[in-house]
Amino acid sequence: MASAGSGDEKAAAAAMITLISSDNEKFEVTEATATLSQTIRHMIEDGCTDGGVPLPNVTSKILARVIEYCKKHATAAAGEEGSSSSFSDAAFLEVDRAFLEELEEFDDAFLEVDRATLFDLILAANYLDIKGLLNLTCQKVADSVKGKTPEQIREMYNIVNDLTPEEEAEIRRETQWAFE
Amino acid sequence: MPALSSGRDRISDLPDDALHHVLSFLEARQAIRTSLLARRWRHLWKSATGLQVVSWSAVQEIRAFVDRLLLLREASHSHLRRCELYLLGGFSAADEPRMNFWIRQAVRNVRVFRLVIVGDHNLADPLFHPDGLPLVSRHLTRLELQAHIEFNDTFLNFSGCPALEELEITGCDFTTSANRISSISLKHLSICGSFSSRNSRTRIHAPNLVSLWLELLQLKVPTGTVVVDLNRGQDCKDVQCRDCYSIEDDSSNDGCVLLKGLSQAKKLALIAESKTFIFRRDLKRCPMFSNLKILLLNEHWCAPADLHALSCILEHSPVLEKPSLQLFSKGPRHKVKMKGSRNPSEIPTATLQHLETVEVKCEVIDEIVLNVLKFLSKLDIRFSFED
Repeated sequence: MASAGSGDEKAAAAAMITLISSDNEKFEVTEATATLSQTIRHMIEDGCTDGGVPLPNVTSKILARVIEYCKKHATAAAGEEGSSSSFSDAAFLEVDRAFLEELEEFDDAFLEVDRATLFDLILAANYLDIKGLLNLTCQKVADSVKGKTPEQIREMYNIVNDLTPEEEAEIRRETQWAFE
Repeated sequence: MPALSSGRDRISDLPDDALHHVLSFLEARQAIRTSLLARRWRHLWKSATGLQVVSWSAVQEIRAFVDRLLLLREASHSHLRRCELYLLGGFSAADEPRMNFWIRQAVRNVRVFRLVIVGDHNLADPLFHPDGLPLVSRHLTRLELQAHIEFNDTFLNFSGCPALEELEITGCDFTTSANRISSISLKHLSICGSFSSRNSRTRIHAPNLVSLWLELLQLKVPTGTVVVDLNRGQDCKDVQCRDCYSIEDDSSNDGCVLLKGLSQAKKLALIAESKTFIFRRDLKRCPMFSNLKILLLNEHWCAPADLHALSCILEHSPVLEKPSLQLFSKGPRHKVKMKGSRNPSEIPTATLQHLETVEVKCEVIDEIVLNVLKFLSKLDIRFSFED
């Protein structure tokens, strides 16, 4: 370590990871932020992050959003060892409850994106294995189809029905038990 | 959410795992219905990572459906992580064996299991009786029970669930034969339910517990709420909270009262719901809270006028940093919020040497609040108002 780096805290603060997007843009993030991604966490553990982590599946536009999410949630997770539980330290006092509310508001605002971006975020969260972000984005898609008929869902998402009438009848027969 | 500009079907392009995850957030029937969307979707639901059954019909009417669903998902259990059963239409005693079977079956392969049982009509929620067999699951990490369950010791012995870390129990009944909740792996425990007033003791044997949240309603005796949070690494091996109340029973010589069990906590919220002072006995033997940094108390700790309870706790908390007093205030939006800190010009007093801030929240500044402020000002704490 360099001269200034005395004490564990300083060493941890200095641990930066460089993420490289598919369009070759470099993002410098703290290890705490980066390790919200299990994929990157494993890379760090394996010691293969020197020279940056190339993420050929993620564009700079999406990576910037993903990092924004991770930064915000890394602060939240700091006190609870990355636990997803409702028993977080932050929930303890109302001072902190305000922060949880803020986090919820952040998530809501974060999801105010067009569908193309939402799908890109799902792909990135899936690839980088960021549980919270994957839940958040997949839940958003699920909520959008709740209570809708297959026809309405197809229309909404431009899904082309390539089932033959015979296949459709077969599926209806197969799943009839669920609707009796 | 604005629509896609192009007519491309982006959703079907998502990888299978992502779609399995999307489907996990849909109720089972709706998830099954997606099989009609297109060929790509035909079998996806069978591998969804979560299974949600929400039924407003009586259990009897959905027996065949749930049986078949669980059996089907059992076959693809490697995908299933979470199972949620919402039985909202009531059940009869004859349904109980089947419900027990469902729970056992579902728990076996999932990491997260949630059971919610609510009665039909406006009657009290029906009492569900788990059978006398223990739950067994290698995978289960989180169990949520929101039902009027009459527990027994076998059900609450989680030695068959070695990965269980979180247990959340709401609305359950410990009045009868449940004397012990035990789990070696458990880290977080939350109980919101009722205990009887009879002289029973429910022991929590969870040596690796990190946080504990108890919100208990007691019949016949003063009602109270205790909220506790224990931090890891604070050496709180074997937390045992017996009854959470020091009832009116001063004659008992039992040394293991609640506060003592919590003396290693780093953060503590003690919220009493009754004027009758439920911790009276505990205070007589008030332990030293040698790790306590954050403390939350409500109005019942600030009466009577001599503030005996409050000063007792403060005196026994040598490293306290952030006490917070919520007086007749339900929050989270308090009308009055005051922040106090040590007057820097004063020489620190012996108590509360580590004090950073004191928070007082209330709806109106009444006699009780003024009394508390006076008391705190004697400790050289000066207040300012916040919005």
